[in-house]
Amino acid sequence: MKISLNTIKRYGYDEIFKSPIDELADKIGTQLGGLEKEPFYLGGLYEGILVVRVVSCEDHPDADRLHVCMIDDGGVANDVERNNEGLVQVVCGAPNVKAGMTVAWLPPGSTVPSSVGKDPFVLEARELRGVVSNGMLASPSELAITDNHDGLLEIVPEEVGPELSKPGTEFKRLYDLDDYILDIENKMFTHRPDCFGLLGVGREIAGIQGIKFTSPEWYSLKPKLPTPSTNDLKLNFNNELPEAVRRFVLLTMKNVNVKPSPVWLQSLLSRHGVRPINNVVDITNYYMILTGQPLHAYDYDKVSALSGGDGASIVVRNPRSGEKISLLNGKTIEPRSEAIMIATDKQLIGIGGIMGGSDTEVDDSTKNIILEVANFDMYSIRRTSMASGVFSDAVSRFNKGQSPLQNLTIAVKAAEELSLLSGAEMTGEIIDDNHVEQSSFDRQSLYVPVKITAAYINDRLGLELSQTDIKTLLNNVEFKVDIDDRDLIVSAPFWRTDIELREDVVEEVGRLYGYDEVPLNLPTRDLTPTSKDPVLTIKAEIRDRLARSGANEALTYSFVHGNLLDKVGQAKDKAYALSNALSPDLQYYRMSLMPSLLDKVHANLKAGYDQFALFELGKTHGLEQPVDAEGLPAEYDITSLVVAANDKLRQTGAAYYQARKFLTNLVGTELEFVTVGKAMQSFALVQPYDLNRSALVSVKGGEFLGIIGEFKPNVARQLKLPKYCAGFEVDTVVLGNALKQRSKYVTIPRFPKVTQDITLKVPADLGYQELFDFVWSELAKVQPEHTLPVLSPIDIFQRPDDLEHKQISLRLSLASYDRTMTDNEVNQMLESVAVAAKAKFGAERL
Amino acid sequence: MNYQNPRVVDTASILKARLPELSSKADILKAIELKALYDELKVLPADQKAAFGAEVNALRGELEQLVRSVQAESTDTTPIDITAPFDINSKDGRPQLLPSETGSQHPLMFELNYILDIFYRMGFAAVESREIDDDFHMFGSLNFAEDHPARDDYDTFMTTQTDANSKPFIAPAHTSTMQHRALLKYRANLEAGKPISVIIPGRVFRNEDLDARHEHTFYQLEGVYVDKGINVGHLIATLKTFLQEYYGKQLEVKTQPFYFPFTEPSFEFTLSCPFCDKQGCNICSQSGWIELLGCGMIHPNVLHAAGIDTNIYTGFAWGGGIDRLVMMKYGIEDVRYFESARLDFLRQFS
Repeated sequence: MKISLNTIKRYGYDEIFKSPIDELADKIGTQLGGLEKEPFYLGGLYEGILVVRVVSCEDHPDADRLHVCMIDDGGVANDVERNNEGLVQVVCGAPNVKAGMTVAWLPPGSTVPSSVGKDPFVLEARELRGVVSNGMLASPSELAITDNHDGLLEIVPEEVGPELSKPGTEFKRLYDLDDYILDIENKMFTHRPDCFGLLGVGREIAGIQGIKFTSPEWYSLKPKLPTPSTNDLKLNFNNELPEAVRRFVLLTMKNVNVKPSPVWLQSLLSRHGVRPINNVVDITNYYMILTGQPLHAYDYDKVSALSGGDGASIVVRNPRSGEKISLLNGKTIEPRSEAIMIATDKQLIGIGGIMGGSDTEVDDSTKNIILEVANFDMYSIRRTSMASGVFSDAVSRFNKGQSPLQNLTIAVKAAEELSLLSGAEMTGEIIDDNHVEQSSFDRQSLYVPVKITAAYINDRLGLELSQTDIKTLLNNVEFKVDIDDRDLIVSAPFWRTDIELREDVVEEVGRLYGYDEVPLNLPTRDLTPTSKDPVLTIKAEIRDRLARSGANEALTYSFVHGNLLDKVGQAKDKAYALSNALSPDLQYYRMSLMPSLLDKVHANLKAGYDQFALFELGKTHGLEQPVDAEGLPAEYDITSLVVAANDKLRQTGAAYYQARKFLTNLVGTELEFVTVGKAMQSFALVQPYDLNRSALVSVKGGEFLGIIGEFKPNVARQLKLPKYCAGFEVDTVVLGNALKQRSKYVTIPRFPKVTQDITLKVPADLGYQELFDFVWSELAKVQPEHTLPVLSPIDIFQRPDDLEHKQISLRLSLASYDRTMTDNEVNQMLESVAVAAKAKFGAERL
Repeated sequence: MNYQNPRVVDTASILKARLPELSSKADILKAIELKALYDELKVLPADQKAAFGAEVNALRGELEQLVRSVQAESTDTTPIDITAPFDINSKDGRPQLLPSETGSQHPLMFELNYILDIFYRMGFAAVESREIDDDFHMFGSLNFAEDHPARDDYDTFMTTQTDANSKPFIAPAHTSTMQHRALLKYRANLEAGKPISVIIPGRVFRNEDLDARHEHTFYQLEGVYVDKGINVGHLIATLKTFLQEYYGKQLEVKTQPFYFPFTEPSFEFTLSCPFCDKQGCNICSQSGWIELLGCGMIHPNVLHAAGIDTNIYTGFAWGGGIDRLVMMKYGIEDVRYFESARLDFLRQFS
């Protein structure tokens, strides 16, 4: 939010700003809220620019629209050509230029203010159609005061005073332009509606410097209600929504002279990012900027014309079904049914607290006005604004929850100011529809006073403030503090909506005092060791093991595009879908990690990586997964890995086995691989996999881990996977349990081991594991006592001319704990295995 | 295709009938019937050669087309022995792991472990945050009223599916979603005279457009500490101690008031730039200071919601991004690399 310091100073707070600006900015940054950028010195735009009087103004000899002016700068500018009377010649194209006018002159060497920060335009003396122009005379737009570029900015001596309208005066001395603008982060004020007004910010700036702030009397004291002599403008009011609209102040003014505001007001509004419109609208905006309380002005006669019966009617109500409203921003909307609407007794004329309607807009022809200073429920404002997509300065203030105790004060002051600027007169009684608890009014504070002790505050801040220290800090920002023995009775001023709990007072004291002085001490605790989180620990170990296997850990998004689900054959209606993602890439929560990894394979191959393994540890979600104890979708922790090799590498063997190698190496305990049964085939997890070349995997005799395999040809085609590509996707927690079971030590036999191979020719469709398990169990039958057998695979071979069979070679090494084994013994064992294998599988030992 | 020559017509119907039975569809092109046609072609009289040849070639073309389209639709692949440790006849190319020097952990995860390790040593327990959560944990339990404007600052992703309260599920926009759970889980500590001290790392989401400095997916680390007599000084000291250990040097720290509904008071936490020791560098935008995280004293409503007596106990909490720490540490210029899965990026951390 932009803050012009001079606007605050208009109310006599010079003392607050006497520190150098950089120090002040640091202080504000430390104790009030972060600055969006460095303080901006507005006066810097006006270096060298002078107030001048146009002494004469003649038509340019060679150009229809140009004038040749002689100006009086009081002789102030240096290095400029002058005539014998000391006047300077300037060519001007503005339609309103005339002799006798006081204007701003940009002499040669000065920079056009509106061009600063964009493409700076530095003036010089140069010929325009053969006549030398020394610099230029400037419009409000060129002076970066408003966006008006219709003609020169006319400096009205009555507005700025005789002193400042003298030729040769530095222009920046006018209109408070010698100003600093601070841009404070809005976020800081989310709970501080008062700080959306300059008085609120000024009060804070005083408070953090230990300076007492006193609000202007018109704001802090109960308003003196004017007693209008006439009641010419009849106004009826009805509030159908007293809960959402707790306060609604209306007054009428007649004989308004609608015209542009004086330059100072236009300039102040512009500095705060508000576009000047006309004196009526500008005054409502000015008091909004000053107090945080938005105001709205209606054209009385337009409202009256849209009302039935006598005079104007204003009704606060919800919209009726199908009702529409045309807004000041040119949009027509149909508001949500709970929206707070402002209407006549016949039709809508505005969305309360959000934006007025175009039908009752104040314009140049307006003669009489209605001024509204209302309070609206912040949550309703926010909901309506979001639902209708209408945002405004009023919304960003009302949705912070303005205090309902300041409406009348502000209405009266704004009306007074309007009288001065437009000649309007109040007519009739002020309507003050008030549904705020009377007790809040009586104590001039929204909440009951907070009873607190200095100890309570000090305990939480780690400070040692006295009762007086605390009282002073709070008094500085206009809190009332009564000391009652050990208790402090703290009453917040009426504009504070955020002081309800003791912690709110603690925050207030801490911030005003500043946290830089707080003594830093670590909390103390006993020596009980903390347990590491099991899941995070497992994940760290998996990462470490896979990285040491040469795989690269990737992270991919938790959300995927529907196209990716289509490509891998996962049904979109089984996924949690995002309703509001900005990017189409983020439509669904992913149901498994593999699609995301597969999506990254092709790009990495293209980038020149011929062989790699990518893995990810992530979470999956899906409607297939149960709901957990909290009623939330269960989350599975998943570890997934994909191996891929460029086709040109011509890998031997199926990629499946490399993925399996990574998995067995990772787990380090025996695994069981079984084909994917019918019951599992519909699960999203399974969809990308080619079931001819995939397996469900479990810890041997234990928990289900997940799936491993190669991918369906159409998945491979759509994701441009290489031929050599496979992967696995397993449950991280189960994997962690398996990791804990591994590495069982066995005593090493002291006697040498004997090693012999057995090759069995078996039917081609006999699974390796079945044979291996059979051999192992047969060996157990003939294994001598006190021996340690190790059986391992050597080869699986198929002759090209005998596709009916394959040959599986296993190696047995056997060592005894108490004697030396002989080759013959071991061979006898293998022979007996061979005999059993022949009987069981028709196997033949080769 | 309508063939004229009866030999071609017959062969075409035989081969098309056979196609579905073949495990390798391309074998149809090697069928002896097709080869026989070509053999016939060689011995035909010259005047019949052209017409017959054209038909045989057309048949071959049609079969090729069929094979291609069947292959494109095909889910037929050769089964493998999934129970074997390696493939048949793969003696010359047993499946291998990759060279360990090419392997890498993701820098975010590696860094997170490093951070976890420091907090473990400081006595914090840890638990990872969820990736799908509800309105209550994202906002309600954290003292965000319904329709509170502070909710706007979080750009939360929501699901079309709804929970038991007919509210959409939420992709957490901060790890603070876990505060309430952590307080409940460890509340018994307080009764046993021990503090609640937990850190919560996790993946969070903001519905933002991507650019070099903005990710919709990033990682945060939350911390919660509750005990008797905990004050703002403890908060600042804890964070400062962690950061000094993390960067291995003495640092200065500053706080800036801020607003979060779930802490009161709330701060933004700033540290002196550890990369230039306040001299000004690119990392700290020449300011000498780095804004790092949000923190504050836990709001009494948040403690109440977890059944903790705020007359006896107070606590602090903080939350900060991991991504930025890692970007600063390694000089990574584009946040999008983290979730790119590009080996160009990942293998730099081998």
